[in-house]
Amino acid sequence: MFLKLLPAALLFQVLQILLRFKDDPDLARKLQARDPHAMADLYDRYGRIAYSLIFRVVRNGAVAEDLVQETFLRVWNRVQSFDPSRGALGPWILTVARNQAIDYLRSVDGRMSSGALELDRLESPTLFSDFEDSAVSIDRARRLKTAFEKLNPQQRTVIELAYFEGLTQTEMADRMKQPLGTVKTWVRTALKVLRDDLAEAASA
Amino acid sequence: MTCEELRDMYELYALGLLEGEEKDEADAHLGRECPTCRKSLHAALAINTMLIANSPAAAPSSKLRRRILATVGIERSSWSWAAALAAVCMLAVALWLGRQERERGKELAAARDTLMHVQGDRDKMLEAFRFLNQPETKQVGFQKGPRGNVFVNSRAGVMMIAANLPKLSGGWIFEMWLIPKGGAPRPAGLFTAADSGDAFHILSGPVDIASLGAVAVTIEPEAGSRAPTSTPIIAVPVAF
Ligand SMILES: [Zn+2]
Repeated sequence: MFLKLLPAALLFQVLQILLRFKDDPDLARKLQARDPHAMADLYDRYGRIAYSLIFRVVRNGAVAEDLVQETFLRVWNRVQSFDPSRGALGPWILTVARNQAIDYLRSVDGRMSSGALELDRLESPTLFSDFEDSAVSIDRARRLKTAFEKLNPQQRTVIELAYFEGLTQTEMADRMKQPLGTVKTWVRTALKVLRDDLAEAASA
Repeated sequence: MTCEELRDMYELYALGLLEGEEKDEADAHLGRECPTCRKSLHAALAINTMLIANSPAAAPSSKLRRRILATVGIERSSWSWAAALAAVCMLAVALWLGRQERERGKELAAARDTLMHVQGDRDKMLEAFRFLNQPETKQVGFQKGPRGNVFVNSRAGVMMIAANLPKLSGGWIFEMWLIPKGGAPRPAGLFTAADSGDAFHILSGPVDIASLGAVAVTIEPEAGSRAPTSTPIIAVPVAF
């Protein structure tokens, strides 16, 4: 099951919602004021995309719903340290959602969690401050998708394993029965291709 | 390690997948607020966001929303949802009626209560809202005994909001009838009322409003009847 390739169709519509940072400061402030209706707005804005992501990782609807619930509760409980004017809600929520899903996957696989604490730290709302408005955009997402499709199969596999199965490079090497050095090269080149492609687009 | 060397590692770092010396190095740079590395981390977070957002669309069940909202203390039973929707419905009715007669205001208040008390079912509430929201919906009020309004829409159907209905003993039910001009009453659905005497009933589907002469309600045995077996408690002449 290595080659669960990224789908052909990008969810531009969903991304569009995701990327509407402009409306988010207000929403974040209402969440901080414990306005339960802000939670409804938050769910309407990000519930579906969080579910899609989690479902992709865990492949079980009931489990995915539990994890979406957990995701929104975490956000609700930690939103006080989020900076409404400088933070990016969408990337934060998606990160929390992914971590929930990966954590679950690890626990059912009996894999050592590389530390729930570690994931916890990496979804701290303060990390999502000072996002440049242009860092996440439809255009860039589209570029990224095209660049991803140009990766060779090994490169794609390692990206999939990292993002959607939460495997470390050591675990990938194990799973793919390849030397760690080889896996690291695949990961590094794959990410470099993606990164460079975006940089090129930015300078073009 | 230099910032340049670390640059390649922040995507994995942000995913919680960096290990050993590489992770320690990244932690060290970020720990001392290295501006270059902070930038690299943000760029990595952006790439990660766009990659994980790119998942095939899947839809959760509609219950999930309610469940999540219940955890933060709203919509314990879809109640406030229903109340909000009822308010919207009533606003639509009020706008729609245009006139603000005293009696009518009371009617509307009664109807709002009806919607809130009788219907916990949000699909039905939504249907009511859609119904009221259509500009071509026509309305006729009734006042004697039971009070309320009948709403008719040639495409959506017939909706009745009624208050002050008699209390039914066990084994009996209200049945609505559509009576064509010069024709026999046709069954238009069974409904019950709340203890308060409020009721809300919708017959969905196209209606030939040109031939419709009246809308009526009778009390029938609980299985319903094919033709009325008692005198109507509500009979509203309609002429469109
Ligand atoms: Zn540095």
